[in-house]
Amino acid sequence: MAKLLDKQRYKCALGAMQTVQAIERALPVLHSGPGCAQKLSESTGSSGYFSPNIFPCTSINEKDVVFGGAKKLHSTIENALKVIDADLYVVLTGCIPEIVGDDTGEVVSEFADADKPVIYAPTAGFKGNNYKGHEQVVDAIIDQYLKKSETKQKGLINIWADVPYQDLFWLGNIRELEKLIAELGLTPNTIFGFQRGIKNINKIPEAEYNLLVSPWVGLCNMKKMERKFGIPYLHYPTLPIGATETSKFLREVGKFAGVDEEKVESVIKKHEDYYYYLIERYADLFLENRVINKQFTVVSDAQYTLGITKFLVNDLGLLPAKQFIVDDTPKAYREKITEEFKKLNYGIEAEVSFETDGYKIHEEIKAHDYHGYPLVLGGYYEKEVTQNLKGNFLNISWPVQDKVVFDDFYVGYTGGIRLIEDIYTIAVQRFN
Amino acid sequence: MSYKIAVGSLDGTNVDLKFGEVESFRIYEVNGTESTFLEFRSITGKESPAGASSAECGLAAGCDSGSCSGNGGGCGGPSEVVDRVSKISDCRCLVCKKVGFQAQKQLERKAIAVFDVDCEVAEALSKITVYYDKLDHNQSLRSRKN
Repeated sequence: MAKLLDKQRYKCALGAMQTVQAIERALPVLHSGPGCAQKLSESTGSSGYFSPNIFPCTSINEKDVVFGGAKKLHSTIENALKVIDADLYVVLTGCIPEIVGDDTGEVVSEFADADKPVIYAPTAGFKGNNYKGHEQVVDAIIDQYLKKSETKQKGLINIWADVPYQDLFWLGNIRELEKLIAELGLTPNTIFGFQRGIKNINKIPEAEYNLLVSPWVGLCNMKKMERKFGIPYLHYPTLPIGATETSKFLREVGKFAGVDEEKVESVIKKHEDYYYYLIERYADLFLENRVINKQFTVVSDAQYTLGITKFLVNDLGLLPAKQFIVDDTPKAYREKITEEFKKLNYGIEAEVSFETDGYKIHEEIKAHDYHGYPLVLGGYYEKEVTQNLKGNFLNISWPVQDKVVFDDFYVGYTGGIRLIEDIYTIAVQRFN
Repeated sequence: MSYKIAVGSLDGTNVDLKFGEVESFRIYEVNGTESTFLEFRSITGKESPAGASSAECGLAAGCDSGSCSGNGGGCGGPSEVVDRVSKISDCRCLVCKKVGFQAQKQLERKAIAVFDVDCEVAEALSKITVYYDKLDHNQSLRSRKN
């Protein structure tokens, strides 16, 4: 029986072209139908030197289905190399060529001697969503481009977080994580965003450690790098938002990377002092307002649902209603993530549901008694249902219609303050 | 149900003619995945009156405006294209070495699929018939390799 999926929050695996785009001067070369890139592109900071409208594409049609699209792919890559000046060419395959069996690997291997690296990632939509596609692109870089390094750079640590562009705050978040790690005396290495690109990709194998800040996205990449390059990894499942979680995060990273405990504590103290100075100044706002009531719901991907739930409980003292994870988390990871929702302060546990169907989520939100105005943080789809319940709504994850984010972030101490600002901005507007 | 395929081939072995070069289309009839040669269809386009073909293509003012000028040798203008297309309007698809943009648009209007390929006639016929057979029987196009 066919199932209808209402208001899905992710795209097909070919959406990983955004992961490639997030790497400066890396170019996706699409082996797909002509409409794929158009449908997957968004106007949320995706214009620039390379944008979805200029991604080379084989634009395969019926003829290529019948006769194979390998020749067309070859000429598309060949000409992309000639006319587009990029540092890394990543061929991404859509559904059609993978169904009819084009051997993309074979075609790409013909460019092994090209001046610039050409790699490929199988990103057919039927293989998974863009979270999986993101992993495929990172896998392709590890498998086809990088080689094991004999030398290691002391203190160099690769940082991996969630999916660029899918995560509205990807750029700000990764920069803030870099900053925090650097304060511990380590050297962060990331590949996404401004002035990172191929030179940082080249440094990946030289790192002493990998740090993954995500409930599940990228875990298989970490395991692969451990096998191939011998880089041990720390998997920190919770996106650290606010003082409680960020301090915990820094202690754990410090322990993992052998940073002097005193050093870690001094960094934490400096940040916490300022953080609680700010909280103290606005304590009356928290205590006296009658708008942000006790219960909240987050409808987002695993990283934000988990990170924000922990933040709102541990730092702001709110109580969780049911939480929803909408990124179609693979079943193997679900139990561990559910366990994380039980590790809240004061013995509080949150109920979490892995649900991709927006209709069912909305029905549950409508049926729940929030003991006052509900606070809902989610995608734009939740705006109307929250308004009907006279609740407070904040658009924190895809799809985003309510917010423009350049390099804002929610991670870390400062990120926690930003999130409080956003939530209480909604609250104070209520009676204006 | 059977259908027809039009092929542009001079020697009968290779798909070696561009759409505009064809003087006589080879028409094959297909049953399931079996194709048999049916007939030749000659083009007499150059003698056909321009007015008639304009009406036929439904572009009363546009057809003879020379809008397809510059699309290479063999094409005598839109009216000739329309005439060629009308000769094979009962075919499900056309197989030629090259098919110009104007011609593709006209073929599209008649819902005739275009396969511009450079291979042997037998290979083209076998691939196309297998493809259509799967489509007609709602079968997956998935390759056995995957």
